[in-house]
Amino acid sequence: MNKRIAPYYWMTVPAVVLFFVFMTLPALQGIYYSFTNYNGFGKDYDFVGFKNYFNLFQDDNVGNAYWFTFKFAIVVTILTNILSLLIALGLNAKIKFRNFFRGIYFLPNILSVLIVGYIFNYLFSNVFPIWGQNLGINALSTNILGSESLAWIGIVIVAVWQSVALNTILYLAGLQTIPTTLYEASNLDGAGKWREFWSITFPLIAPFFTINMVLAMKNSLMVFDQIVALTNGGPGRATQSISHLIYTGGFEGGEYAYQSANSVIYFIVIAVISILQIRFLQRREMDL
Amino acid sequence: MMAVLLSSCTSGDSANGKVQIEFFQNKPEAKTTFDELIKTFNAEHDDIQVTQVNPPDAETVLKTRVVKNDIPDIMAMGATDTYSILAQSDIFTDLTDSTLLQTIDPNYIQMLNDLTGMDEVTGIPYATNANGIMYNKTLFKEMGLDVPKTWDELIATAQKIKDAGEIPFYFTYKDDWQTSLPFNALASNLVGIDFYQERRDNKVTFKEKYREVAEKQLELMKYGHGDNFGKAYSDGNRAFANGEAFMYIQGTWAISEIRKANPNVDIGFFPFPTGNDASEIKLVNGIDSLFTIAADTPNREQAETFIAFLLEPENIGRYIDEQTLFSAVEGVKQDDPAVQELMPYIEQGKVIDFPDHYIPAAVQLNSIVQSFLQNQNIDNYLDTLDKEWDKVANRR
Repeated sequence: MNKRIAPYYWMTVPAVVLFFVFMTLPALQGIYYSFTNYNGFGKDYDFVGFKNYFNLFQDDNVGNAYWFTFKFAIVVTILTNILSLLIALGLNAKIKFRNFFRGIYFLPNILSVLIVGYIFNYLFSNVFPIWGQNLGINALSTNILGSESLAWIGIVIVAVWQSVALNTILYLAGLQTIPTTLYEASNLDGAGKWREFWSITFPLIAPFFTINMVLAMKNSLMVFDQIVALTNGGPGRATQSISHLIYTGGFEGGEYAYQSANSVIYFIVIAVISILQIRFLQRREMDL
Repeated sequence: MMAVLLSSCTSGDSANGKVQIEFFQNKPEAKTTFDELIKTFNAEHDDIQVTQVNPPDAETVLKTRVVKNDIPDIMAMGATDTYSILAQSDIFTDLTDSTLLQTIDPNYIQMLNDLTGMDEVTGIPYATNANGIMYNKTLFKEMGLDVPKTWDELIATAQKIKDAGEIPFYFTYKDDWQTSLPFNALASNLVGIDFYQERRDNKVTFKEKYREVAEKQLELMKYGHGDNFGKAYSDGNRAFANGEAFMYIQGTWAISEIRKANPNVDIGFFPFPTGNDASEIKLVNGIDSLFTIAADTPNREQAETFIAFLLEPENIGRYIDEQTLFSAVEGVKQDDPAVQELMPYIEQGKVIDFPDHYIPAAVQLNSIVQSFLQNQNIDNYLDTLDKEWDKVANRR
């Protein structure tokens, strides 16, 4: 072996082995079990072929979870990106206490999702309704997490509140790559702030826009902790996301194999969405 | 490091010559009581050392440990669907002829057999709980109300309280499992447990039998507070302790939590009056904790010694006092004033098991009932129950 190459192998091979043992192997096991009727424990199970997959497409709980998750993910992705871009622009401007504010806006990202969820859960059930009653607003006077039609909005609020922090930091990093000379030139040409944003700022942070969209979408498609802390999938199954369904059905419900099949399909769906998103958004980057 | 990990997982003879017994149990509330009992036991036995394991979400932890074939020597859990599935997977020792069962009320042993559908007994019932209607004695006295004995009286009482501008029932339906409490009381009395055997054999449907259960549960919703789906179990315990509502459809397990919030509250408890013949009403009374021994443990004898210790009247008496539960050992009485109205039912055997223990967990009964109470569509609800049951049965 070439002596110069050897160190690279020393670094790569353990990583490959670890990745294989902890990521690939369990995934392959999951695929294997998805063709059985294994309940998660015990020793006997039989091969059932594609029965689990066939049942999945007839299970309206699965359809319901997909509908909730996509609705949730799209709304969260859009809101997160709009808000974090606005905050990043603000934090990039020459304001007083800039670093202090940057720190404050990053705080939600440091807190544990579960703790944030439990705090908001308390606010939704005990604090906001009292405000609503005092202000005489009917829609606010009950806990929105307890309503089948409104509970998802509560989860969106918490998820956006928390994910804005990281995306803001990424946008801030993007904004700092833009040379100030460009703005000076546009100033001389007499461009307004709005024009400046659409013609300089936004095109130049396009790669950051791509990565933020993909990250936000992927994270919100896998939403789990917020749901456990806020509604546990309820009321009924109104806020049950796909990963929550896989967990509750697979472990608590003793349908390990069936939910393995669900997660195999879900893996494919997320992979396809992420690839499409990157392709589409990157093409946009190059056009500019 | 691997060696440390491995040795901490396996039980058996340890360096100090004592047999190590792992006691795995699922009730966080009972941790301190068991700690004290174990301390006494370990002090009395030179050759056995029992350690308690009580992780959060214990049933799920137990299932994953069973997958790894790392089964604790003794497992304590409720008589639920999880117990039933595990028993059918043959991971528990067959205790049918064990002397440990001699002092246990045969009613509860029968309950286990009904639940698993097996002839062997693999669990030793320990403590039982009850589900009924809790009421605030002080508030009842102030308004001059009597304890309702029939369904009509219950509704009349609730109406009277509502007319006075107070809250009859404190519903805590943000937690979906709370919605299954009235379901359990109504279903067991109005339909019965045999229904589930027939349902497994596809001889009957929810649609045929469960309409009255659904209608009565819906009727109760008229007597809640303004935010029935916005409050959770812990909110309810606090509110009831502070006298915000007259009645609280709950299990006996909540008593200790309520007293934590307000030690002076005067609690009473009556069985859920599901029909209009008071003599026919049975109390929903299920096994809160049972003991099982792992089938492949090398320390069966020591495990049995420990269980025998826990079953001694003095020890189980202490346990049920601290946990406000009832004893499965015959002759051990619960004297807590809050549950005295329930005692005659238990002593006369006028009890019936929790129906939801017979419904596979994958059906997710709780979320179905919760959803029904929100959209209030009975036909849709009964269809969903049948459809989900069939789907799960079809997948097994």
